[in-house]
Amino acid sequence: MASVSFSNIEKSFGKFKIIHGISFDISDGEFVVLVGPSGCGKSTLLRMLAGLEEISGGEISIDGVVVNDLDSKDRDIAMVFQSYALYPHMTVGENMAFSMKLRKADGALIEKRVADAAHVLNLDALLDRYPRELSGGQRQRVAMGRAIVRDPKVFLFDEPLSNLDAKLRVAMRAEIKALHQRLKTTTVYVTHDQIEAMTMADRIVVMHDGIIEQIGTPLELFDRPKNLFVAQFIGSPSMNVLQGTLRRGDGQCWVEAEGHRWPAGALSQTADGQRVHYGVRPGDLRLSTSGEGIPARVIVVEPTGAETELLLQVGESRVIVVMHGRTGVQPDDIVKLEIDPLKAHIFDEASSHRLN
Amino acid sequence: MKKRITLKAVTTEAKLLLIGIPLLIWTMIPIYHMFLFAISPRDSATSGRLWPDAPTLKNFEVVFLEKHHYLNHFWLQMWNSLIIAVAVGVITLFVATAAAFAISRLRVRGGRTVMNLALFTYFIPAAFLAVPMYKTMGNYGLLGSQWSLILAMVTIASPYCIWVLKQASDKLPYELDEAAMMDGASPLQLFRLVYLPLMVPSLVAVGTYALLLAWNEYLYAFLLLSNDRSVTLGVALGSFLSADDSPWELLMATGLIYALPPAAIYYTFKRYMVSGLTAGAVKS
Repeated sequence: MASVSFSNIEKSFGKFKIIHGISFDISDGEFVVLVGPSGCGKSTLLRMLAGLEEISGGEISIDGVVVNDLDSKDRDIAMVFQSYALYPHMTVGENMAFSMKLRKADGALIEKRVADAAHVLNLDALLDRYPRELSGGQRQRVAMGRAIVRDPKVFLFDEPLSNLDAKLRVAMRAEIKALHQRLKTTTVYVTHDQIEAMTMADRIVVMHDGIIEQIGTPLELFDRPKNLFVAQFIGSPSMNVLQGTLRRGDGQCWVEAEGHRWPAGALSQTADGQRVHYGVRPGDLRLSTSGEGIPARVIVVEPTGAETELLLQVGESRVIVVMHGRTGVQPDDIVKLEIDPLKAHIFDEASSHRLN
Repeated sequence: MKKRITLKAVTTEAKLLLIGIPLLIWTMIPIYHMFLFAISPRDSATSGRLWPDAPTLKNFEVVFLEKHHYLNHFWLQMWNSLIIAVAVGVITLFVATAAAFAISRLRVRGGRTVMNLALFTYFIPAAFLAVPMYKTMGNYGLLGSQWSLILAMVTIASPYCIWVLKQASDKLPYELDEAAMMDGASPLQLFRLVYLPLMVPSLVAVGTYALLLAWNEYLYAFLLLSNDRSVTLGVALGSFLSADDSPWELLMATGLIYALPPAAIYYTFKRYMVSGLTAGAVKS
């Protein structure tokens, strides 16, 4: 177990700088997820921590020791690859024992560790099989087994679930989370899937174009995104965003967009007439029963069982509403929308920074 | 399941047979003649019949017991051929594997350039290089030594073998190397414990290729080796033609024997040859 610290990390490939001075700390035992769209530099950052990629600038330290010039094998970290990268010519047991054998560990100890890991991951019956004889989920578990056998300081996961089908992904998500709660090893997990990030992380690092957009717990990011990028990246379906103009009056603020008044609560540090993005999560919009509210035309009704998703047209914009339970609303109906001003997210149009 | 016979299937089969049968006859005729000579007595060997009146195994007896002055060193020369071919196979394999690993996995700077330069040598026919090679071996004082032939053949076989192995190892996912590195493997351990086991099919193919190339070589063997006791059997066979009344039936019997080991090797490793030599040929 160990803490990890990134200090002003930079990475260039030739002339192209893809990571621009990233700094953050991961505390002992924490599960941190790096998330962002593809090309944001999250995998590169992980590979620099793993020692698979040169560090162009800055320092990475594990437990206070700068590891920039250490080989991967001397950093005492284990990694689970997206493609699993199991050795095809070795059995499951041999795959798991490989790292300890290279370290010339005692035979009995290796056997015990492999047996323990296999037990934790429910692989006991598969130890003599070859990777080609396993299903995707089993291979994934072997890859994790290979990582935990060695009891490393830090676990790294590089999009480990993206080769699995949707159902298995959900199951493995829970398994990885449970494993972490049990082993309490510091973990850095890379994914482009914000649901994975939300469900698994203690803290999420949202990356975009080689910088950190925001760091926080899943609910912090969901409730108070610092900028428009995070607001739209986190949450599914993603946040509704309308362009408009901020107005003040009677101690209240609202945003004029699509010809309607969208409530924005009390805002300090904003000027009347400022151009803004008005964001509201699909789950925070309600259909009014009183007849008051912003009128919208229903385009599509998507019942998913527990919830119903409505796609609405307001002026030129499309808005999504997620309702609990069911509804009798039909396409082409006109509905009225109600919004709790405290649930509104206001971002400056020029800088995209949060204003409320 | 019962196989249904459709008109389409029948015509496809017929077309294949139409091409296949002439092709088979075409390739088999020379071999059949070789066999015919080998089992014919001396006086009827060139009679032109499709089957000799009195087939005999006497020729083989003469060969095996070295009872003709052309065949005085038959077993020794056979051994020479074998030892040279095996040496070429092994050394080429070592050179090519190490080179391919360095170029493809360790990504040594300039590795690709070196490989391309090596491949470039194939633009010059090997026959043109025979005299320079002779001169080179002379400079090193290796003329007449079997090492000269072994080294020459390794030189000729290596570029192709490096290329095949490089293509094959490019197909191994690089994550395996990274996983092994993180597991704590040094480059040598990576080579020995991960790379070699996964490359076995290609290694067999390439080794067999080099071995057969050396076994079948005539020009270089003829040029670089001069002593009756050091030449390969292939060169010895050539000397049958130096007299006016060549013993054709013995030449063919020896030739047939000489052709057997390559055939045996080929059939043993056929599985690997096919997958190994084409591996990397297409992007899959």
